[in-house]
Amino acid sequence: MTPNPDIVFRASGLTKVYRNGALEVHALRGINFQARKGEFIVILGPSGSGKSTFLNIVGGLDTATAGEAWFADHQLTALNEKGLTQYRRDHVGFVFQFYNLVPSLTARENVQLVTEIARHPMTADEALALVGLSERADHFPAQLSGGEQQRVAIARAIAKNPEVLLCDEPTGALDSATGIKVLEALTQVNRAVGATTLVITHNAAIRDIADRVIRFADGRIVEESVNTTKKAASEVVW
Amino acid sequence: MVIAPLRRKVLRDLVRLWAQVLAIALVLAAGVATLILGNGAYSSLFEARARYYEQNRFADVFADVTRAPRALLAQIEEIEGVLDAEARILKLGLLDLSEMKEPGSVLFVTLPDSGKGLNQLHLRRGRLPDPQSAREVIIDDGFAKAHTLGPGDTLPVMMNGQQRKLLITGVALSPEFIYALGPGQMMPDPRRFGIVWVPRSSLEAAFDLEGAFSNVVLKLAPGADPNRVIEALDRLTAPYGGTGASPRKDQISHAFLDAELKQLSAMVKVLPPIFLLVAAMLVNMTLSRLITLEREQIGLLKAIGYSSRAVAQHYVEFVLLIAVVGILIGMAAGTWLGAGMAQMYARFFSFPYLVFTRNPQIYGLAAVITLASAIGGAVYAVSTVVRLPPAVAMAPPAPATYRQRMGWVRKLIRLKQPGVMVARHLFRWPLRTASSTLGVAMAVAILVASLWSFGSINYMIDITFFRSDRQDAQVVFAAPEPQRTLFAVRKMPGVLVAEPFRTVSSRISHRQLSKKLVIVGHPAGSQLSRVLGADLRPMALPDDGLILSEALADALDVRAGDLVTIDVLEGARPTVTLRVSGISLGFVGLSAAMDIGALNRLMGEDALVSGVNLMIDEGQSPAFYAAAKAAPKTELITITALMLSRFRQTLAENITVMITVYTSLATIIAVGVVYNFSRIALSEQGRELASLRVLGFTNREVAGVLFAELAVVVLLAQPIGWLIGYGIGLAMVAAFSSDLYRVPFVVGREVFATASLVVLAAALVSAFAIRGRINNLDMIEVLKTRE
Ligand SMILES: Nc1ncnc2c1ncn2[C@@H]1O[C@H](COP(=O)(O)OP(=O)(O)OP(=O)(O)O)[C@@H](O)[C@H]1O
Ligand SMILES: [Mg+2]
Repeated sequence: MTPNPDIVFRASGLTKVYRNGALEVHALRGINFQARKGEFIVILGPSGSGKSTFLNIVGGLDTATAGEAWFADHQLTALNEKGLTQYRRDHVGFVFQFYNLVPSLTARENVQLVTEIARHPMTADEALALVGLSERADHFPAQLSGGEQQRVAIARAIAKNPEVLLCDEPTGALDSATGIKVLEALTQVNRAVGATTLVITHNAAIRDIADRVIRFADGRIVEESVNTTKKAASEVVW
Repeated sequence: MVIAPLRRKVLRDLVRLWAQVLAIALVLAAGVATLILGNGAYSSLFEARARYYEQNRFADVFADVTRAPRALLAQIEEIEGVLDAEARILKLGLLDLSEMKEPGSVLFVTLPDSGKGLNQLHLRRGRLPDPQSAREVIIDDGFAKAHTLGPGDTLPVMMNGQQRKLLITGVALSPEFIYALGPGQMMPDPRRFGIVWVPRSSLEAAFDLEGAFSNVVLKLAPGADPNRVIEALDRLTAPYGGTGASPRKDQISHAFLDAELKQLSAMVKVLPPIFLLVAAMLVNMTLSRLITLEREQIGLLKAIGYSSRAVAQHYVEFVLLIAVVGILIGMAAGTWLGAGMAQMYARFFSFPYLVFTRNPQIYGLAAVITLASAIGGAVYAVSTVVRLPPAVAMAPPAPATYRQRMGWVRKLIRLKQPGVMVARHLFRWPLRTASSTLGVAMAVAILVASLWSFGSINYMIDITFFRSDRQDAQVVFAAPEPQRTLFAVRKMPGVLVAEPFRTVSSRISHRQLSKKLVIVGHPAGSQLSRVLGADLRPMALPDDGLILSEALADALDVRAGDLVTIDVLEGARPTVTLRVSGISLGFVGLSAAMDIGALNRLMGEDALVSGVNLMIDEGQSPAFYAAAKAAPKTELITITALMLSRFRQTLAENITVMITVYTSLATIIAVGVVYNFSRIALSEQGRELASLRVLGFTNREVAGVLFAELAVVVLLAQPIGWLIGYGIGLAMVAAFSSDLYRVPFVVGREVFATASLVVLAAALVSAFAIRGRINNLDMIEVLKTRE
């Protein structure tokens, strides 16, 4: 198989089993998946269906039990701890439900945390401008609202010019108006940076801004649909 | 038995936090152990001595005379306040053992009257001599052991210039010689110095003192003023060459025991408080963190009806259990160290029995003090529990507010973001940062305050024996001799240089202060025994006037140029006023030096010499010893090299023990502080650090953030520790210095370096213990949960 240079992610037969003593939890039961460069993908599915587990494996935070996952020409499932760290450092931007900002650093410094170790970063101020937070650069997380904190997290994620942007319920802790601002930031960044973006959400309305929507259930991908009428984030209602 | 759920939580917390609990318990244990060791050794020694003195009727006043008729004794007994008086003969003799090439000496002492006599013997083996026998004697236990002598053996000696073969009938101890320091020695050396108790008649005959005595000891009535008795005694003995009586506190053996007791009480004042303070800080730190983590649980407990007191008690119990663990470990360690200490004392001090105290009060006191300091450390943290209203407790804690500080510093050193995290975190909890720094500093301080002494002692040896008293040997005559005796010594085999000296017993007074000592006269331009100034250069001895050692000048409150009164206590006993022309350096005893000619003129005597300092050709030293021993005038031969090697050997044995003990103590503190600090920092920042791992920071970089914080604390602690240690050392020097010796305070760079290296090593070890936890930070867990 000649890899299509346009394909950023490939996963085949990806399986994850958690073992707690005698108890086995099959979180992923053979996932086959591909994502193109610059694609904006929304992942939906009921709680416990394996969405986070999948995202964590393709993000290099967790390892699979079986199957393969590739990022470009890196086989993620073959990398060791050190390799995975390097992969995250060079290629991946993360956004999480609980922001996970460093409370002792200001917004700008939180972004700089990444630009200092990245290979081709933009400046922290550019990243903050992309999410519309230039004014708040010198504020500590405790001085920012939830939505603002999440935008800082996005700025931090994209500041390294990542090839992939992985977001696990980025609007989960936010009200709708704030959630829309965060989504706008995400779509704008997706366009500006060209990063392949995977967004897990429980909010089906968000599907309208995606290029493609994937639905998980019980550790499998049960539905995949290409969105032909992509809306802008501001047009989304929920 | 049903254990209440809160109790069960206490036990679970202890198990869960066992490493931190153990680290705190060990610091507490060190406090307990040093308390027990210090107080226990003090009371053991003090009580053993008191009991020994009491049972063996140790005298209160001691006086030497040249020769006084026994009839004088009746008058002495009449002095008001005197309960008992015993006239004795004390004379030095030389050992004449064939297997001993080097010179050794013995002190002959009149056998005390059995029953009602003073300074009674504690017979270890054999029997008392027949009072009428001319040969039978008792020897002291240490000397007997050093030469494997016992009842039935003969002891060849030079007694008043004559060879004698004495017969040993018994081996004994005496309260007068608990610390049996030979004349001219720095450490007891039982191989080269022994006590020989001889029946009165035999000793009188040997030293031509029939019906006379050379020393008298008094037992005073309870409450009698020793100074008034001494005054009266001195008046009576003056016509017979009395050199002035001394109270018990100036008696050599007693004074050395006093010095040891003083050191012990100084130790108790310094070490245990350090440990208890650090332990209290650790308790506070750890408990505060635990309570922060358990805010919600505390709120819940209060919400369901537990009283604030019950919840507070829960945390106090947690601390009490830590303290109990510490106390148990500390008591075991203290008892073990105490037994070791008692063994070490047995090497220097001869007591009939010396066991480490089992006094429950000492153990109880240590336990109470330790509990108190642990609870003291818990008070602040626990009070926050009491104040926490249940509703607030249920809400997450307000986010830590950080501030931008010292922006200019950042610009200056261009910190990277992880560096900024470190700095902000340290500043966010300044009290914790400060107390951890102080804790580590204390570890450094303990080492500095203990390690300096070795360098100082070496310095003291160097100054005393290689710059000041540089003679290879010293020969002391039984009485001042004319010049020809000096010439006779010069002719002995192996003598390269011989310089005479004169000693005169005197009392030197300045205002109300006075000291009794021996003034030494040196010839001008002495090459062997030199008087050194503060600049370590030999001082010229003035034609008139005298030079006092620093310690003596301090004791008399004298400065160069002041006038002092000298009451000579021998010969024609003149009283003169002399100018102090300079202050000399000197660490052992009190000393006053004059030009030998001036001293003889002052005495109104011809050129007399009391002894000779010698430089000996090493190859011929055995021949020299033999000749010196055989010379009839010789009373004492001191060999510098032998005295020094004994001193160094004893020191070397103690150094290893001391370094081990102090290094362990410092390590306990350093590990305890560093480990707890890192665990708490990790607990607080675990989430941030895991987030950094998610962002692609490597394990090493993440560990670096935590370790940088530690490094700042540990490095900052070094200079502070040096300073505190220096201060403690300075206070110790003041506490230790006595008329017997004065310790120079010399702290070389190596002391600071060693102290820091030990503490840094301990910090590194604790850091490595944390490393595993950093490597296992759960990245996914941290993403799923809100803090
Ligand atoms: N560390 C773990 N040990 C055991 N089972 C786990 C572990 N982590 C996740 N699981 C299980 O794996 C399954 C998938 O979990 P995952 O977190 O991927 O679900 P999810 O789709 O993200 O759900 P949600 O929408 O609630 O976040 C669940 O059944 C979960 O209980
Ligand atoms: Mg999830």
